[in-house]
Amino acid sequence: MERRRFVGILGLGGLAGAVLMRRSAASDTPPATPSDTPPAAPPAAPPESATVLGGEPPAFTGPGPNLWWSSVGPYVAHPQKLPLIQLTDRPVQLETPRAYFAQAITPTAAFFVRWHLPNLPDVDLASYRLRVQGAVEHPLTLSMAEVLALPAMEVTAVNQCSGNSRSRFQPRVAGGQWGNGACGCATWRGVSLRALLERAGVRPTAVQVQLHGMDTGNGPEGKGSHAYAKSLDLAGDALDHAVLAYAMNGEPLPALHGFPLRLVVPGYFSTYWVKAVGAIDVLEQPDDGFWMKTAYRLPDTPNGGTTPAEAATVATKPIGTMPVRSLLANPDGQTKLLAGCPVTLRGVAFSGRGAITRVQWSVDEGATWNTAALGADLGPFAFRTFEASWTPPHGGTFVIAIRAHDASGAEQTDDPLWNGGGYGWNRIERQTVVVADAGGAA
Amino acid sequence: MILALLIACAQTPTPAASPAAPAAAPAATPVAIADPVGVPQVLAAPVAGTAFPAPATPLHTPPLAEGDGKDKVAAYCSVCHATTYITMQPPLPPEKWKAEVEKMVNAYGAQVPEAERAPIIAYLSAHYGPDRR
Repeated sequence: MERRRFVGILGLGGLAGAVLMRRSAASDTPPATPSDTPPAAPPAAPPESATVLGGEPPAFTGPGPNLWWSSVGPYVAHPQKLPLIQLTDRPVQLETPRAYFAQAITPTAAFFVRWHLPNLPDVDLASYRLRVQGAVEHPLTLSMAEVLALPAMEVTAVNQCSGNSRSRFQPRVAGGQWGNGACGCATWRGVSLRALLERAGVRPTAVQVQLHGMDTGNGPEGKGSHAYAKSLDLAGDALDHAVLAYAMNGEPLPALHGFPLRLVVPGYFSTYWVKAVGAIDVLEQPDDGFWMKTAYRLPDTPNGGTTPAEAATVATKPIGTMPVRSLLANPDGQTKLLAGCPVTLRGVAFSGRGAITRVQWSVDEGATWNTAALGADLGPFAFRTFEASWTPPHGGTFVIAIRAHDASGAEQTDDPLWNGGGYGWNRIERQTVVVADAGGAA
Repeated sequence: MILALLIACAQTPTPAASPAAPAAAPAATPVAIADPVGVPQVLAAPVAGTAFPAPATPLHTPPLAEGDGKDKVAAYCSVCHATTYITMQPPLPPEKWKAEVEKMVNAYGAQVPEAERAPIIAYLSAHYGPDRR
């Protein structure tokens, strides 16, 4: 039945120009929901009535949580990118497929993409200038050549969308319906934002630094649909590792990742990683623009959660650092495992609040937790790969659970999380796998 | 090496219009894609110089459900974003669709005349709510 849901659209795909690669089933078996007893078989696929044979593939999940690892859009190839899972086409939002989460560095061509506004800038480096202005003693106007001549620094850091895994929320919330693939880890090279601000001489009265993207939208001036800007406090730790990056994994930033310069704020959610930066304003009053005052705000509660009943009245704060979480890339539940034959559990763990200290795995509903081996340490802001060998003892259905811990003492839990924005998901992920018996003696 | 190239690029004067770069650059507007790897052929031959035009990105917008109000949704919502933003959503109850439309008008400044809002909310609720999905 899964295949049937997608086969009907193949003909259309050919007509449409073949940039869309249809997914032969949503590519893997859905994980069990954290709170449910694992079903004897993977959950049933969405009802056939959701499909128009000969028409489009299912474009949505719900009203229950999305049980697939990824979102359910088609694969689409964009300039400089491998085929990625499309959430939206204008503005562009693309999700990284699951298989890339077994490695510490996400290839740039597979890295997720998320723009808020539809019109990416045309950049002419003959006229491009990075401006640092506002509450500074010496406003700067730098050509790209001058930026490249400044002392460079490099950081390997995870970029994760605030709404990564939004499709897990119950009840569902509106917004980009990401699966788990709205994150990636790259090595970023550029200039220190703090050093740049020091060159300009920040006045003592300044409180925030605001970065403006050069991308534009079609809405009226002064509204969030017209321009994108985000601000960080000058006090606090956000700027300690912030890099205005011109290179990603050793190559110039592709346009879809914010050419010519983007902000990298290690440990913080992507919303602050402004792309295609044109101007930097040093502010003497906190930013009251839409993208700070209204959007990307979390309930001011210990885990950023609330309830639908209280969502409208709960106090909120701008989203900040990423809580600890982990992603299992393999096995993906697509095929049967074999009793007595080892399989390697592989994935990545990360946290914006302290280096990963331990990753544990369980195949018995959390009765016992085993410790996985950690891979290379690329720094506290990077993906930390993990792996563990598991030999299924007998046939049947098993649920693999992965739990990461960070240096702040935090660990992933099964505690419920809900907020109106669909932000900050980090509950323990589970993968249902089916193990086949090896059979009896001949 | 790459950085050196970038610096070199930055120091190259802007070239005069080249025959390989027609004034109406295809990059300016999204275009229908007819290439199997998804990138228009013209972009495979970029022109040297300091200009980095925005890339043309492929569009794949699923059709909206047929019904009263479809044209209004297509017209008003598509100003700022593709209607993929609608078809992607999980089934949302009418009060959620109303809140979304109000958010677009009030927070994002969508220019939707007051009289057009109710038909838009009714269409979204009828076709993208729990009853139909």
